[in-house]
Amino acid sequence: MSNGKSADTAAPAHGGVSAEIWKFRALIVGVAGLAVTLIGLFAADPVRVGLGTLIALVFWLSIGLGMWFLIMLFHLFDAGWGTVIRRPMEHATTIFPWIGIVFFVLVVYSLFADTDQGLWKWMNPDNTVVIAGETATVDDDLLYHHKSPYLNNAFFILRSLLYFGIFIGVATVLRRASFSQDRDGNGGWTTVCRKWSAAGIILAALSVTFASLDWLMTLEFHWFSTIFGVWFFSASMRAALAATVLVCLLLVYLGVFQGVFKRSHLYELGRLSLAFTVFWAYIAFSQYFLIWNANIPEVTYWYVNREHELWWWVGLALLFGHFFVPFIYLLFYKNKVQPGRMIFICVWILAFHLLDLYFNILPTKQAESGLPYYNFGVNLWDVAAFVGIGGICFWAFMQSYLGQKAIPVRDPRILESLNHHE
Amino acid sequence: MSEEKTYGLIASFATPGEVMHAAENVRDKGFKHWDVITPFPVHGMNEAMGLKRSKVPVFTLLGGATGFFGGMLMIWYMNAYDYPIAVGGKPMFSPMYAFPVSYELTILLAAFGAIIGMFLLNRLPMHYHPAMKHDAVDRASNDRFYIVIESSDPKFEEKTTTALLNEIGGSEVTRIDD
Repeated sequence: MSNGKSADTAAPAHGGVSAEIWKFRALIVGVAGLAVTLIGLFAADPVRVGLGTLIALVFWLSIGLGMWFLIMLFHLFDAGWGTVIRRPMEHATTIFPWIGIVFFVLVVYSLFADTDQGLWKWMNPDNTVVIAGETATVDDDLLYHHKSPYLNNAFFILRSLLYFGIFIGVATVLRRASFSQDRDGNGGWTTVCRKWSAAGIILAALSVTFASLDWLMTLEFHWFSTIFGVWFFSASMRAALAATVLVCLLLVYLGVFQGVFKRSHLYELGRLSLAFTVFWAYIAFSQYFLIWNANIPEVTYWYVNREHELWWWVGLALLFGHFFVPFIYLLFYKNKVQPGRMIFICVWILAFHLLDLYFNILPTKQAESGLPYYNFGVNLWDVAAFVGIGGICFWAFMQSYLGQKAIPVRDPRILESLNHHE
Repeated sequence: MSEEKTYGLIASFATPGEVMHAAENVRDKGFKHWDVITPFPVHGMNEAMGLKRSKVPVFTLLGGATGFFGGMLMIWYMNAYDYPIAVGGKPMFSPMYAFPVSYELTILLAAFGAIIGMFLLNRLPMHYHPAMKHDAVDRASNDRFYIVIESSDPKFEEKTTTALLNEIGGSEVTRIDD
């Protein structure tokens, strides 16, 4: 059993001194990036910096959420092949509390911001809204008053706390159970994980859907789309699969996953990426198509605004770059099994996922004409927030990674996963 | 009996491991017209036999492309060319509303392409195969593994091929008549 042997050698010692250094560097980069972002929030246009931070935050969070879904899917379907891949995803779910802290800084900032300086305009009754081409305050907005039983500051904060409570709670239980199994080899932990996943997948579906509605869709609270939560889920799954491929191939490169993460695992991840590429396109198109077909001004303006200035080209870039290119590319067998080719398309997908978030989040602030206030663009504050939150995520990942075995060595399905075959 | 043409030689193996190594041997000897008969799929056999990836995806892609462009063309022809009707102030033709139908046709014809391609490439339906004449081949659906080398193979030569099959661990090497 050559595979079993390589798992044993890969399991105990990984990382070492250089990994500790990288963890420390990640923390420094993370704190520095967030400090620069915080300066930007007060020194530059706060709404632009805040939206840029929200984009970066949602980018990293979506990767963690997608992996969280995948972990639960593996447990629920008693999947054999994915057992070795599960461990890095479990480490990645440690990012939730840190993302939560950054998120609540944005919420607190928006609650106390001056008029028209917060992210969620409905939070302050004095903020300006554009209604049918005329400006008014939130307090004068009849639509807001109808939505206010749900969309008010106290309930928003309560819900956000609940979402993060679910993300952190369920992910922590699953992670701890998996780590405990490494130590005592008790097969019962697998059953524990399965039971928690059964409840967790429902909680995850609800919390991720409502979180995306609350945090992203209400940025422009006049607009509504019932498929928005599914769009966010599909986007998260694509980002998570792409990130999983990159992390696993990095671990192969470092020698930790050498002989553990094989061509057949890469092929499965590539196939899932193809499936979710089609799923994302199906959802994104459905949203556009239903709004286009119904042709009701209440909702069409959201897309009309996104035909303004550079946003038109961003929309087309998403259509071709986020769907057609990965779709055609991933249809080919060789592109799914050669590491170099998979790295290319995974970086590509992550880049367009980020662009997708810009497309959804940045044009939400409206000028007096009702058109987007901000044209598409990336500034240094965006980069600082992206690198800063990324650094914190990397640090959190390393924090968990360094204390544990590289793969779930005593999982009942580990041998099946190591011997996985196309 | 001797007038009948030889279809090929069949050899029997006891375990998947044996038949796999034997297949690697036959592959390395450069045989082209030969097959392995097993009661269940043996992982790694494709590589052991030196089989290339199936051509079925080409048929799937052709079917899918036909469905997509056929659907677009059909809707353009019906709604914008042959009998234009304005509906809901929409353009006579837009890929937007033509997309769902074209998408469904893509899937339908891609599936047809895959099935038809599979049948064509496997030369199905095939109601008769000379290997069925061999009495013991019933066990190929139970507990034995077989390698059949066809006489149509350029490298086939009854004596040496029989020797080869014996050498690589095959037992009960038998001639099959066409």
